[in-house]
Amino acid sequence: MSDLPVIEPSAEAGLVPTTAPGQSVRRLRLDDPALLPGQTFEIVTDRIAAIPLRQKPFLWWWIGMILVVPWVGGLMTGIARVFISGPGVYGLNWPAMWGYDIIDYVWWIGIGCGAAFISALFYILGADWRAGIGRIAETVAVLSAATSGIFPIIHLGRPWLFYWLYPYPNMQGYWPNWRSPLLWDFWGIQSFLVVTACFWFLSMMPDFAALRDRARTKPRAMVYGVLALGFRGSGRQWRHHRAVCGALAIVVLIAACDTHSIAALDFAGAATVGWHTTQMPPYFLFGAVLSGAAMILLVGLPLRRLLRFGDMITGRHVDMLCRILLTSSLFITYSYALEAFMSWYSGDPAERTMFVHRVFGAEEGYSVWYVYWGTILFNCVFPQIFWLRPARMIQPIVWFVSLCVLVGMWMDPYKLIAESLERTRLPSAWGSFHGSWWDWLTLIGSVGFFFFLLLLAVRLLPMVGIHNIRRLIAGRVR
Amino acid sequence: MPSVGDTAFRAPGRQWRSLAELERDPAFLDRAAQEFPILRDALSEPHKRRHVLRLIAASLAMGGLAGCYSGEPSGVLIPEVRFPPEIVAGLPNHYATAHVLSGYALGTVVTHQMGRPIKVEGNPNHPSSLGATDPYAQAEVLGFYDPDRAMDITRAGTPASVQTLLAALVSVQGVAAATRGAGLRILTGDTSSPTLARLMGRVLAAYPEARWHVWEPVNRDRAMRGAVLAYGQPVETVARLENADVILGLDSDLLGGVPGWVRYARDFASRRNPVRTQAMSRVYAAEASPTLLGSVADHRFVTGAQELDAVVVALGHSLLQGAPATLPGVPAWLAPVVADLKAHRGRAFIHAGPALSAEGHALVHAMNEALGGRGSTYELVEPVLDQPAASRAESIAALAEDMHAGRVTTLVMIDTNPVFTAPGTLGFADALARVPLSIALSKWPDETGRLATWSVPMAHPWETWSDARGHDGTVTIMQPMALPLYGGLSATELVGRLLGAEGETPRAMVQATWRDQLGGGGGDFDAAWHQALAKGVVPGSASAKATASLRDSAATLSPPPSPPGLHILFRPDPRLWDGRFASNPWLQELPDPLTKLTWDNPLLVSPDLAGQMGLRNGDKVNLRTGAGAISLPIWVHPGQARDTVLAWLGGGRRTAGGVGTDNGWDVYPLTGADGLAVMEPTGNQVELASTIHHNVIVFPPGSELDKIIKHATLDVFQQNPAFAKEPEKPEIYHRKPADPTAWAMTVDLNRCIGCNACVIACQAENNVPTVGKEQVLMEREMHWLRIDRYYEGTPDAPDAFFQPMLCMHCEKAPCELVCPPGATVHDSEGLNLMVYNRCIGTRFCSNNCPYKVRRFNFYPYAYRMNRPAVSWNNNVTMRSGGVMEKCTYCVQRIWSARIIADQANIPDGTIEVRTACQAACPTQVFTFGDQNNPGSDVHARKQSPLDYALLEDQHTHPRTTYEALVRNPNPAISKESA
Amino acid sequence: MAALFRPQANLLAKFGFIGIVVSILAGIGWWWGYPRTNYSRQEFWTVHQPVMFSHEHHVGGLGIDCRFCHTSVTTSSNAGMPPTYTCMTCHSQVWTNAEMLAPVRQSLARNEPIVWHRVYNLPDYTFFDHSIHITKGVGCAECHGEINRMPLTYKAVDLEMTFCIDCHQNPAPHLRPRTEIFNMEWTRTAATPSPRQLMAEYNVRAGGVLLECSTCHR
Repeated sequence: MSDLPVIEPSAEAGLVPTTAPGQSVRRLRLDDPALLPGQTFEIVTDRIAAIPLRQKPFLWWWIGMILVVPWVGGLMTGIARVFISGPGVYGLNWPAMWGYDIIDYVWWIGIGCGAAFISALFYILGADWRAGIGRIAETVAVLSAATSGIFPIIHLGRPWLFYWLYPYPNMQGYWPNWRSPLLWDFWGIQSFLVVTACFWFLSMMPDFAALRDRARTKPRAMVYGVLALGFRGSGRQWRHHRAVCGALAIVVLIAACDTHSIAALDFAGAATVGWHTTQMPPYFLFGAVLSGAAMILLVGLPLRRLLRFGDMITGRHVDMLCRILLTSSLFITYSYALEAFMSWYSGDPAERTMFVHRVFGAEEGYSVWYVYWGTILFNCVFPQIFWLRPARMIQPIVWFVSLCVLVGMWMDPYKLIAESLERTRLPSAWGSFHGSWWDWLTLIGSVGFFFFLLLLAVRLLPMVGIHNIRRLIAGRVR
Repeated sequence: MPSVGDTAFRAPGRQWRSLAELERDPAFLDRAAQEFPILRDALSEPHKRRHVLRLIAASLAMGGLAGCYSGEPSGVLIPEVRFPPEIVAGLPNHYATAHVLSGYALGTVVTHQMGRPIKVEGNPNHPSSLGATDPYAQAEVLGFYDPDRAMDITRAGTPASVQTLLAALVSVQGVAAATRGAGLRILTGDTSSPTLARLMGRVLAAYPEARWHVWEPVNRDRAMRGAVLAYGQPVETVARLENADVILGLDSDLLGGVPGWVRYARDFASRRNPVRTQAMSRVYAAEASPTLLGSVADHRFVTGAQELDAVVVALGHSLLQGAPATLPGVPAWLAPVVADLKAHRGRAFIHAGPALSAEGHALVHAMNEALGGRGSTYELVEPVLDQPAASRAESIAALAEDMHAGRVTTLVMIDTNPVFTAPGTLGFADALARVPLSIALSKWPDETGRLATWSVPMAHPWETWSDARGHDGTVTIMQPMALPLYGGLSATELVGRLLGAEGETPRAMVQATWRDQLGGGGGDFDAAWHQALAKGVVPGSASAKATASLRDSAATLSPPPSPPGLHILFRPDPRLWDGRFASNPWLQELPDPLTKLTWDNPLLVSPDLAGQMGLRNGDKVNLRTGAGAISLPIWVHPGQARDTVLAWLGGGRRTAGGVGTDNGWDVYPLTGADGLAVMEPTGNQVELASTIHHNVIVFPPGSELDKIIKHATLDVFQQNPAFAKEPEKPEIYHRKPADPTAWAMTVDLNRCIGCNACVIACQAENNVPTVGKEQVLMEREMHWLRIDRYYEGTPDAPDAFFQPMLCMHCEKAPCELVCPPGATVHDSEGLNLMVYNRCIGTRFCSNNCPYKVRRFNFYPYAYRMNRPAVSWNNNVTMRSGGVMEKCTYCVQRIWSARIIADQANIPDGTIEVRTACQAACPTQVFTFGDQNNPGSDVHARKQSPLDYALLEDQHTHPRTTYEALVRNPNPAISKESA
Repeated sequence: MAALFRPQANLLAKFGFIGIVVSILAGIGWWWGYPRTNYSRQEFWTVHQPVMFSHEHHVGGLGIDCRFCHTSVTTSSNAGMPPTYTCMTCHSQVWTNAEMLAPVRQSLARNEPIVWHRVYNLPDYTFFDHSIHITKGVGCAECHGEINRMPLTYKAVDLEMTFCIDCHQNPAPHLRPRTEIFNMEWTRTAATPSPRQLMAEYNVRAGGVLLECSTCHR
C-alpha cells in the first residue's frame, strides 16, 4: 500500500492532488488486479475529478499543445490549398486515382472502429479491466472517427458538392446511386460517428454530475451541470442509464463492425485488380482491432503515467490489450497469407502480376517492395513478441510495438490502394504513384489534429470512467 | 468579303510579348473590336465560351461591340445589324480548302460554327485525302487561332508601320528594275502553287539577275536525283498499293512522311484484313530505325546503314542480272524476299526512303521496272513541286555562299525558317547578317524573323487566296474563310509587290492563273471557278504520266558504300515535322507512335548500344558530327540498328512563342555533314515525358499479351478463322439495353498504322485539353483516345502492335456501378454517358475501369490553355477542374444527326453517324453505327470471325470490339534469320 | 450549498433544445425552399431593354408571325435574334421619328448592334434545340408563355431541370397541331386530334432516349 497516493488537502481549493509530489507511478505486474486495493468511492472520484477541475493545466499539457498546434495549422493549410487548387496538388495520377486521402481515411476509421469495438465488446462481456480503459478507448474512437471524416470530403474533385450524396428532393429530380459502395461508406462513417459519440457522452454523464458537484467555481459547475443533463444519481436514473449504455454498447459494436466492413466494400465491391476479393471486410476488421488496440496502448500508457492512474490502469489492462493486439495480429497475418494465396489461386495473370509488383516491385528509379515488407514486419512480426508474458509488462516495448503497428496499419491500405492501381489489367496503363508534399502535410496534419483533440479531452473530461471504477469498488463490473 | 489586301495592314503597330499584355491593352481590344469582335471577346474572356459564341452568332457583320457587358447578370443578346450571308446561328457551314505541308496539299473540308472554323475533315474529292487527314491537318484549327502567331511588322526588331514597309518594297522593286535584279534573292520553302510559280516566273523574267532559291529541311533531294539518274528527268512516283501483292520498303516512309501517305495508307490497308480482301498483301521492311511501315510489316529486318547498302546492291544483282542473292555480307533473309518479289512480277513494289543514296534510288527505279510494276503498282508522273530539278541542299548552299561573299543585297524569305533549319555547315545566321536588306514573311515569329531586317506577318492559308497541288498533282484552290485574325500578307501579295502590282488582290492573282484552264474552250469561267472552290479540286489537273523510259545506265549504278562508324539518321519529328508546328500544343503533346514521347525529341539509340555505353532513358550525351556538336538526352529504342542513332529534326525551337520555345533539342547544327557521328556520355540526366509510365516491356511470345492483342499468322487464320473467339461462358445476368438502336464500334487492328490522326481528331472534336510536360510526367495526360503500343519478341528486333484504346461503352459497365452521384450512367441505346455537371470527382469510376480510358481534370486544364474561347467546339461542354471525362462516341454528332433525321422524319436505325476518329482515320480502322441495323457497316464487321472483345473474361460486354490482327509472314523466312 | 440551477433552468434547457432543433430545420427549409422561389429563378421578371419592344403590340396587336423576326427557329438550334435590318423593314416606313425607336435607327446608322438583355438563359452544359421541338409540335407558348400578352418580355416558366424532364417524360399533353405552334392563344378543342394521335403523327419517343442525360448534357 505504500505506493498509494497520500491524501492531503491541496493548495488548490481544498482538492486532493492526484498524487504526492515526487511519487512515481507503480510498475506493471502480470498478477495485477484490474483495480489496486485501497480505493474508496471518495478517493477515486476526487482523484479523477481533480484533473479536469484543475485551475491551471499541467506543464506537459502546454508543451503538448505547443507541439501539436502547428500540425493542425498544417492540416488547415493543406485543406485550404486543395479547396483552392483542386486535387492536382496531390500525387494522384491517371492509373492511381486514389491516394493518401483514401489511405488516411481507411487508417483513421480503422483505429476508430477498433477502439470502439474493444470498448463496446468488453463492456458487454463485462470484463473488469474494461472499466479503467474504456473511457480512453471511446475517446480514441470518437476522435479518430472525427479525424477520418475530413478525408472523404477533401478527396473529392469538387468537394463543395459533397451534399449531392444526400437523397434530398432536388430540382434535377435526380437521386444518388445506391449501388455505389462509396455511398454506403458516406452513410457508414456518419452513423458510426453519431452512435459512438452518443455512447461516449452517455457513459460520461454521471461523471459530469460528479464534476459538477465538485466544481468550486460557478462557471465550471454550470458547464458540467449542463453536460450532466440533470443527472442526480437517483436509483431510477442509474437503472435507465445502465439500460441505455448496454443497448448502445451493442449498437456501437455493430456499427464498428459494419462501418469498417463497408469501408472494405469500397474495394471488395470494385472490379479492380487486387481489390476484388471477398475477404476484404473481415480483413479490414482484423486490421481495425489491431490498430485500435495499438492506439489505446499508445495513448493509454503515457496518460497512465502523466495522470497518475497507475492503480486504475494496471498490468492487467496492458496485459489484456497486448493479448488482443497479438490475437488480431495473428488474424491479419492469416489475411495476408490468404491474399497471397488467392492472387496465385485465382489464376488471373493480372492478379499475379500485381501481387508480384507489390512484393518485389522495383523498376528503374521506382521501387515499392519495402511497403509490403513493412506491413509484414510491423503488423505480423513485431507483435509476436507478446507471446513472452514479461514483454507485455515492459512499457517501452509495448509502446514501441504499438507505434510500429500503427505505422504498419497505414502502410497496409497504402499497398492495397496505391500499389494495386499501379498495375492495372492493361500493361499500357501501368504507372507509379508518388505522394506529393501536400499529401504528407495533410497526413501529418491529421495526426496533429487527433492529438490536439485528445489534449483538449484530457483537459476537460475525466479520462477514466469514475462511475465505472466505483462500480468496480462496489464489486460489480457493470 | 473585303479583299485581304485592305485588311492585311491593320496589324497592331507595336510588338507585344505575351497574350496577357494583349489583354491588358485597350488599344488592341478596341482595334480587335472593330476588326474582329469575336477575337476581342475570345482574348479578353477566355472562360465565357458559350457566352462569347452568342456574341459571335450575333456579330458576324463585324460591327462594334458597344457596351456588350452592360446590364443584366444573365448576359446579353447581340443581333447583327444586317444578316451575314449563308450563316445561320447554330448551323454548321463547310468550306473546302487544303492543308499544305512541304509543298504538297492534302484536301480538307473545314467545318464552321457561326462563322468560325472549329474542325477539319478530309475532302473525299481529293485524291490525297479521300476523306481522311493526317495529324497536322487536324491540328491546323489550333494553329489558326494560335495567339502566338506573328502580328507585327518589325524593322530591325522595332515595330514599323505598314507604310514604311510598302515604301521599302517599292524601293526594292525600283532597285531591282534598275539593276536587272542583281543581288536580289528570293528564298521559299517547297511550294507547288501554280500561282506563286507564275508570279515568280514574272519576277525572274523582269529581273534576269535575280535568283529563286528553295530550301526544305525535310526534302527528297536524293529521290529526285535518283529519278534524274534513272530517267534523265525528274519524275514523281505515285504508288498504287491496292495492286501490290508484295511490298519491300528500304528505310521507307511510305506510311508517314512521303507525300500522299494518307492516300497510300488507305490503299495499303485495303489489302491487310484477310476477311475483307481476297489476297492479303505481304510487306517486308528493311530499315535501321523503326518506321510505321516497318511496325506493321509482316517481316521487319533491322538493317544498319552498311548492311542496307549491301542489300541494295545484292537486290540489284539478283533482280537485274539474275545473280543469286547470296553475296558475302548479305543477310540470309534476302534470298527468300527476292524469290517472293520475282514470284509476283507486276504485282510487287519496292519503295526507298529519303535517306537512301541517289544511286540507290535509281537502282530501285530500275528494279521496279524490272519487276514490271510500272503502270500497275505505281505510276511515274511529271513533278508536282515548283523548281523540281533543283537540289534543295545545293540551292541553299549556293545562296549561303553568295550571302557570305556579300553578293546578296536583298533577300526575301517566304514561309521558310532557314536560320533554324539550314544545314549546320552553312552558318546561315552569320551569312544573313551580311545581307543589307532581308525580308522574312512567316506565320509565326521565328528565328529568321528575329535576324531579318524586316519581319512581316504572313496570312494563314484560311485567310487568303492561294492554290496548291496534291501528291499526284491535283490542284486545290484555297479560299479565305475568315478575315485575318492578326493581319498579315500572303506570299502572292508580297511577290506581287516586288513586281509593282499593288492593285492586284490575291483573288485576282489566283483567278488570273486559272482563267484559261477553267474558262478554257469558251466555258463559263465563274461556274467552273465556283465548282472548283466547292469541290476543293480542279478537275483534270493531276500531273500527266511521265513518258520517260529507263536509262540502261541505271541498272549498272551502285550506291557509294557508307563508311564504317556510328551512323546518324535524321527524320522529321513525328509531332513537329521540321519544327514548324512547335507552337501547337496538340502536336507537342501528341505521343510519338512508338516511343510515346511527348514534348521532347531525344536521340534514339539501340538497346544494344545503350547497354554497352551504360546509357538509360534520359541520360544526356555529347553528339558530334562533321557539322557541329550538341548535347541531348537519349531514348532506348527497341528494334533499332546497333550502328545507327536517330535524331528527330524540329525540336529545340528558340523563338516559337510561349508553347513552342525550348522544348526538346535542336539537331539542325548536326546536319549537312556526312552521316557519321561520335557519341559520348555526359553523366547528366533529364526527365523525358512519355505516356508509357513504366519501363519499356517487351513481351515474350505466348505471354498474356495474346489476350490483349489477339494475333496470328495467315495460315493459322486459314485453318481456324475464328481463332480469336473465346467459348461463351455462363453468366448470372446480362442486361442488354432495350432500345432498337444499339450504337457500337469495331476497331480493325489489321488496318491501324499508329499514325495518330484519330488522336488529334478526337482532341479537336471533343475539346480535350493539353496538360503540359510536367503534368504528363505526373501521368495526367488527357487524350480520350490513345493508341497503345506493345512489343513482342526481343528488344533488338521486336514486333510492334498498335491498339487504339477508347471508351468501350460496356453493356455492363463497372464505372456506372460505383459512381455515388450517378454521374456516369447507361442509356437505352447502349451509350455509357458521362454527365460532367453531375460529377463530383470521386474518381471511383476510373479505378473500376478495366480499360483505364477515363481521364480526370486534376486541374481545370481546359481553362489553363492559352487558347481563344472561340476556337473550342461549341457543341461539347468544356470540362472544369475536378471532373471526370472520357470518350462519348461523339454523342454530340449522334444527336445532331438524330435531330436532322427527325426533322426529315427519317425512321430510327437508318441515321448515319461518323465519329471524329472514324472520319479522320486514313485507313478506316474505326467503324461506328447501329449494330442492330443489318444494313450497317458495323453490323457487318461484328460478324467478322476476327471480332473479339478486349478483356472478355471481365464480362463487361463492350460495345467497342476489335478485329484480331493477322500477319502474313513468308514461310521461307524463320524468325532467327530475320 | 444552494442548488446550482433554479427550477426555470429545466424550462430553459427544454427551450434551448427545441430552439436548436427548430433552427436546424429552418436552415434546411431555407436551403430547400429558396431555389424554388420565383425570386431566385427570376421568373416573371420583366427585363429592362434598350428598346421598349412590346411583343404584346407586335404579336398580339399586329399579329406578326414569330418567324418573321426569329427566322431560324424552325431550322436551327438557335431561334435567331432579328438584326436591326429586320426592325427597319417596317420602321423605315412607320414611326420613322418615334423617340422610342432612336436606338434602332442609330444602330443602323452607326452599324452598331442593339444590345438586348437575356430573358431566358440556360447553363453552358445544357443544350437545347428550338427546331426539333417545333418539328415535334411543341408550341412556343409551352416555354415562353403567352408572349402576345407581354408588353415587356419576361421568363414565363421556372426553367428548372424538372420542368424539362416532366415534359420529356410525358410529352403528349404538350403537343399541338403543326398549324397552331405559333399561336399563343391556342387551346385544345374537341376538334383537335388526341395527344395520342399527335404522338403517333410526329413519332415522338416518349421516355427512352428523350430522358437520357445526353439529350441535354453533352
